[in-house]
Order: sequence, then structure tokens, then C-alpha cells
Amino acid sequence: MDEFNNRMDAQRNILEVINRQAGYTEELCGLSKNAIERWISSNHLNPRAEICEILFQITNKLFFLANKSQEQITEEYKLLSSEISALKITLEKAMG
Amino acid sequence: MHIYAFGSVCRGEIDSKSDIDLLAVVDGYDNRFDLSIYSIYSYNRLSDLWQEGNPFAWHLASEAKIIYSSNGKDFIKQLGLPAEYNKCIEDCRKFYNLYCKAVDSICSGGSSLVFEMSTIFLAIRNFATCFLLGKKQIGNFSRRSALQIGDRSIQISPDTFDLLERSRILSIRGTGKMIEKEEVRSSLEEISSIKIWMNDLLVEVETNG
Repeated sequence: MDEFNNRMDAQRNILEVINRQAGYTEELCGLSKNAIERWISSNHLNPRAEICEILFQITNKLFFLANKSQEQITEEYKLLSSEISALKITLEKAMG
Repeated sequence: MHIYAFGSVCRGEIDSKSDIDLLAVVDGYDNRFDLSIYSIYSYNRLSDLWQEGNPFAWHLASEAKIIYSSNGKDFIKQLGLPAEYNKCIEDCRKFYNLYCKAVDSICSGGSSLVFEMSTIFLAIRNFATCFLLGKKQIGNFSRRSALQIGDRSIQISPDTFDLLERSRILSIRGTGKMIEKEEVRSSLEEISSIKIWMNDLLVEVETNG
């Protein structure tokens, strides 16, 4: 598997942790800062809640997945896989 | 430091879905830029992309407009034309795999429908752009490149294309009307048929490179 698709898988895995949980009005559509802010607002969550803060941390690692136009084609950024995996585990714990 | 605009605004493709893509070219690490607004590259990395003939280099070469230059020169203009693009087969396969995985996720009951639909949009757009650049030597970096390949254009209804594009905007910008499960369900057959279009173009790409 190439690096680009690995990064997309990492994003998919994080989103599944959130979206498989019942009870949210809207699903989390992506891991861009704007998508997370929409999700927080539409579900009336506290932006300082642990789950939200973890998501923003993940976004900072994965910002390259939310970038624009043809930049996705480049292999510009290294996958911070171990850090993202660790954050996924933290997120799962925070979700209970 | 150099700052450029690129993307739809530079192509004159203005609609309610347009945003402004900004590129910052910097020397080393620079933490002044909001990463959700700017794409940030070092001078060396951008030069490498030119030498690789990367589609993003072709994209910038064809449409980037300079906004600020700290030395009064246009760095991108000085780079000239990128090298020939020679990773068309590899990239088209990559985006084919990306598409297949997203469809599989939807069909197997995955919970992130908007993300998967957004991923399908990304896959078909980048697939079409790579096909046009690699096979036809045409630089088309539009969101609608898959609809602009003449008789090889993707055959899906405007409603389904709009649904995929809406998903992409929700996923990246967090704006727009939320996608309903029923909308995805009713377009799933058409979305699954995209595989045939991709397979046909892959055959063409893999034949004679």
C-alpha cells in the first residue's frame, strides 16, 4: 500500500471510532479543523472536552489530509503513524 | 518567502463552492502560517516536485499567481516547466484503489458515509487529472476534470456528481447541507458503476504506458 492511501486509511480509522458511536446528531465528516468544528457545534459539545481536544491533536498530525487541490497527489508529508495510532487509542479510551 | 494563489480562483471557476487556495514557499520551518489556509512548501521540496514532474508542480506551473515575493522575483516562474510526468500508471492505480476501498466501506456498513463519499470524489478527480496529464498531456486541475475528458468522461448523473462534491466540501470545509443516508443509498448503484469507467481508462493507461 502506498503512503497516500495509508494516510487515508488512518483518517478512516479515526472517523470510525467517532461515527460508530450512536447518539450524535451529525456524523463527523472529516478530520479538517472546519469539519471538526462543525461536528462540535451540531452536536452541542464542549470544544474543551477531551474527545474534541484529541481530535484537534490528530488534525494537527494529519493536516496534510485536509489540504487542497492537487496537493493530495504529492507524497510531501511523512505519515506520523505511531503518534496517530497512540492518539487513536487515547480517543477510544475517552469514548468509553 | 513567496506567496501564491492557485486553484479555482485562478482558473476563473467561480461559484458558491469556490474557495481560495494559497501556497507559501518558505526557507525551512515557519510557524506563522495557518495550515488550514496555506499549503506550505520549502524551496527545495518545490524544486524536487518540478524535477519529478509531479502533477502538483504542473498544477502550479499552469496557474499559480504570485501575491507576495520577499526578493521581488517570481520563484515559480523561474523554475520553468516541470519535467515530464511519468507516474501516470502508478497514480491512476493508486486512486483506483482509493475509490475501491471507499465503496467497499460504504457497502460493508461503514459509519463514515460523508467521508467515504468525499474520498470517492477525491479519487475520481485525481484519477482524471492524472489520466489527462499522463496520457493526453493536458493539464486539467479542475474539480470537474472527470467530466472534461470528452468521450472518455465519467458517466454519472449531475445529481450524483453534486452529491459527491457536496460530501467533499463537508469533509474539508465543514460547510453545506448534511448528506442523508437515503441520498447515498439511492446513488450507490451509479457510484459502483464508476469502477467500470476507471477500469476502462486504466486499460488505456496501461497500454503503451
